[in-house]
Amino acid sequence: MPIKTITVGYDAVKKVRIGGTEPLAFIGGPCAIEGRDHALMMANDIGNICDRLNIPWIYKSCFDKDCRSSPNSFHGVGVDDGLKILQDVRNEVGVPVVSDFSRPGWAEATGEVCDMVQVPAYLCRQTSILRAATETKRPVHLKKGQFMSPWNMKNSVRKIENWGGNQILLTDRGTFFGYNMQVNDFRNFPIMGETGYPVCFDVSHSIQLPTSMGNSSGGQREFIPHLSRAAAACGINALFCEVHNDPPKALSDANTVLDIKYLERVLGQARDVHQLRLELLDKWGEDRVHLED
Amino acid sequence: MSTLKTDLIVRDVMMPLDKVPVVSHRTMFKDALDEMGKVCLGIICITDSGGKLKGIFTDGDLRRLLITEQKPMTALFCDDIITHSIKKCATIASDSTLIEAVEIMEKKQIWDLPVVTTDGKLLGMLHLHPVVKKLLGL
Repeated sequence: MPIKTITVGYDAVKKVRIGGTEPLAFIGGPCAIEGRDHALMMANDIGNICDRLNIPWIYKSCFDKDCRSSPNSFHGVGVDDGLKILQDVRNEVGVPVVSDFSRPGWAEATGEVCDMVQVPAYLCRQTSILRAATETKRPVHLKKGQFMSPWNMKNSVRKIENWGGNQILLTDRGTFFGYNMQVNDFRNFPIMGETGYPVCFDVSHSIQLPTSMGNSSGGQREFIPHLSRAAAACGINALFCEVHNDPPKALSDANTVLDIKYLERVLGQARDVHQLRLELLDKWGEDRVHLED
Repeated sequence: MSTLKTDLIVRDVMMPLDKVPVVSHRTMFKDALDEMGKVCLGIICITDSGGKLKGIFTDGDLRRLLITEQKPMTALFCDDIITHSIKKCATIASDSTLIEAVEIMEKKQIWDLPVVTTDGKLLGMLHLHPVVKKLLGL
């Protein structure tokens, strides 16, 4: 099935088209909103990198982190303050923004500010969350739960379609492999692509070792370049990567965020591999090699 | 001894549409099998929103699929039924004769024929057993 193109961005921000033969899009930022100044600094710095690479991008940062391993971990700045900060990022940097939300009651406010609303992986099959996301009328960034098969994501897609949603981005963020470990099954991209919606690779959470540090998650960020290249070669429409200026001091996911000083290196390669893949498809034909009817 | 009735037409014997298992092309494979199980016919029709026949799926197709398809059963169940359906299937018009219908069935080695209008809209299903009974005047 051909992959649709979705458009993220309303009003004055730079709109981002994801899907089809569009250039690889980037979704990134600090895992959690840490404050207004920090958000604006990160958005400006990421924006400069994306401008240099000519990569369309969406700023991602969350106002509430409801899936932390410990009650003592940073939970977020909250929905009100967080959305004000994201609004400032939109206004001052001109970039579309996305945040997840973990309560249906937060969806409306999130959709009023954010250009795309994100459904957390752990909640990817929760009917009330999916319905609330759809009712914002914004594109829905739907992450595949670590516990979900890629084909079962069709059920979540159909829930969204049932309420009239047709702008969906499906993201793989790794799949549980025993306890405290994940693997990436790159078959997930073409399988989720069978829905007709664009697919995205979340490299940050793919290299996460869930709750491997007792009451927090570890991660192996040394694999970010390898997995990003592999995903781009396999076939994705967007790359998701959490970025921080000082990873050890990041308030959320300190073990997985990419140091921004490496972002250009990672993004540039992913962009080039994506472009090469499109050229190869043009030259050699589509990926369809299974037996015809 | 009854005599063969050569002037009978499909419309006289076909199952009406409301008796035929029909699903949409977006119906999940598992749900389509459930629908097939409700009617002991061994065939299900897939139509678009305008009622046009887009494909069929039969018990025989299921047997062949189980042999050839290598994906996990859980993944197969999530597929759209249209993915595995026979798109270029034999059909017959409602004003065709039963003799013509039987000839098609014999040639194709099938015993169900979807009945369609000239523009492909599904009208019903012709099943071999009632046809035989009618032709023999039983």
